[in-house]
Amino acid sequence: MSTGRHDPANAVRRLSVLVGVLSVPAFVGLWELVARSRIVNAVLFPPPSTVAVAVLDWIHSGQFFGDVSASLFRVTAGFAIGATAGIVLGILTGEFRLISSLLSPLFHILRPIPPIAFVPIVILWFGLSETGKLFLVVWGVFFTVWLATHIGVQKVDRGLIRAALMLGTPRRQMLSEIVLLGALPYIVVGLRTAVSISFYTLVAAELAGAFAGIVYRIEIAQQNMQTGQVMGGLAALGLLSFVADRSFAAISERAVWWR
Amino acid sequence: MVAMMHNPLRPAQPLRLVNAPPSASPATAHAIIRVEDLSIVFDAPRGQVVAVDRVSLDVMPGEFVSLVGPSGCGKSTLLNAMAGLERPFEGRVMVAGGPMLGPRPDVGMVFQQPHLFPWKSVRRNIAHGPRALGKSKAEALRMADDLIEMIGLTRFANAYPHTLSGGMQQRVAIARALANQPRVLLMDEPFGALDAQTRAVMQDNLLELRDRIHATIVFVTHDIDEAILLSDRVLIMSAGPGRILRDLSVGLPRPRSSAILTDPAYLALKRDCLDLIRTEGRKAFEQMEAVT
Ligand SMILES: Nc1ncnc2c1ncn2[C@@H]1O[C@H](COP(=O)(O)OP(=O)(O)OP(=O)(O)O)[C@@H](O)[C@H]1O
Ligand SMILES: [Mg+2]
Repeated sequence: MSTGRHDPANAVRRLSVLVGVLSVPAFVGLWELVARSRIVNAVLFPPPSTVAVAVLDWIHSGQFFGDVSASLFRVTAGFAIGATAGIVLGILTGEFRLISSLLSPLFHILRPIPPIAFVPIVILWFGLSETGKLFLVVWGVFFTVWLATHIGVQKVDRGLIRAALMLGTPRRQMLSEIVLLGALPYIVVGLRTAVSISFYTLVAAELAGAFAGIVYRIEIAQQNMQTGQVMGGLAALGLLSFVADRSFAAISERAVWWR
Repeated sequence: MVAMMHNPLRPAQPLRLVNAPPSASPATAHAIIRVEDLSIVFDAPRGQVVAVDRVSLDVMPGEFVSLVGPSGCGKSTLLNAMAGLERPFEGRVMVAGGPMLGPRPDVGMVFQQPHLFPWKSVRRNIAHGPRALGKSKAEALRMADDLIEMIGLTRFANAYPHTLSGGMQQRVAIARALANQPRVLLMDEPFGALDAQTRAVMQDNLLELRDRIHATIVFVTHDIDEAILLSDRVLIMSAGPGRILRDLSVGLPRPRSSAILTDPAYLALKRDCLDLIRTEGRKAFEQMEAVT
């Protein structure tokens, strides 16, 4: 293979790197131009500079920290509760026929209902309290993690179970080590899917009514026609879920540590 | 690698070939494994399958017994019953005086696949049994280290199973089963998945290991060479339904090594075994033809 300067494949590769680096700035620049050129309504489609100012104001007003921490708390607490319940029940239904016969049909009926559809009933039950918001996130996360764990447990190598039995492994350790770690590769995939689900359900929960939160702020800004603030909120939410997804991807690569 | 320093073989003695009746006799009351009229039946989609049909056998303490026979004749099922992994349909299995009602730590098992815990290092795989039986972590690891030295894998003590070759993994599986110091070690085609060279090395390793562990071993194999090389007795099973056809004593001097495989007396014994198995294989084939 030639590695010369005039190698066309090499040139294309370098060009794509350049285009990749310039893509977002070019897009933002174009947006700024179009928004300022009065081709579009600047109130509905504010230039990036206006969005940046809105975000700075948001930070200076002191609400930014409260909003981000409120949203972050709902997502992380909801995820932790839903994932724990999903893993525990997934192991129980995956391992014990009787428990599976009892719970699986119910779970399979409830699972396909989009969690957002539960907003009205959640408001009836919990009002605008934090419990209601947590409930929605937990609900969304639980079924995904439960199903992944349930399937993972059933796919655990029977040979490993027999080997562990022959070595005198006690029943408890069988579940907490052999079955749990045997199913871990599946569980991790379920957890990663659940990360994005927790953000979907967060949006639904905060739109339904809240007193703080990124999506709550977006909604308030929308009511006041502060389009810059709306877009700033979207950017913050996008950044947050991007970081969550990436960190989870990094964690999940290390979670199955023996590979 | 385990150092293989066998004594040179003594001059070949004439082989004994004894056809004992395949049933337990009162004279063997102190057998460590005692299988009495054992039948095991499976429910299959096309009706019931008799995998083991009224088998009786005794294994004496310290004996090395091989089970050979055509594929599907019930060798694994019989071994699993001795392991407590399969319940008798009729009859019973006694090990060390007690009935096998489930897996027991004094009965170890090595399967055809190593089935090592992929999330544990070699050391911790081997320490798993002693830990499960309540030994302290320090003691379990010390026992593991001794066994690792015995199987010659000291350099790989902290390696994860998937980084080892098939032969090394199977050595770890053997060490893991031995860590509980079982009185009986059951082995189901443990070298079946290995290439011929690795298999030969593993056979020598096992002969060497056996001199040190004093466990009673029941060994399932397809390979008649392997069975004769390793065993004190070879049990030949008939084509399904599983029954024991012959019980051959191998009166071959120990210590043995694979060098014995070219000994003329050994070859004569092998020919007899092969004839039996071939007749059985043909019978099994004809039975299948008759059914379909
Ligand atoms: N769990 C099971 N369910 C139904 N039938 C079974 C089951 N396990 C074994 N069998 C049947 O029992 C018979 C004996 O099987 P087994 O595995 O003991 O044979 P084997 O001698 O070990 O064969 P191989 O040499 O191929 O390992 C076979 O006909 C097999 O199909
Ligand atoms: Mg078998």
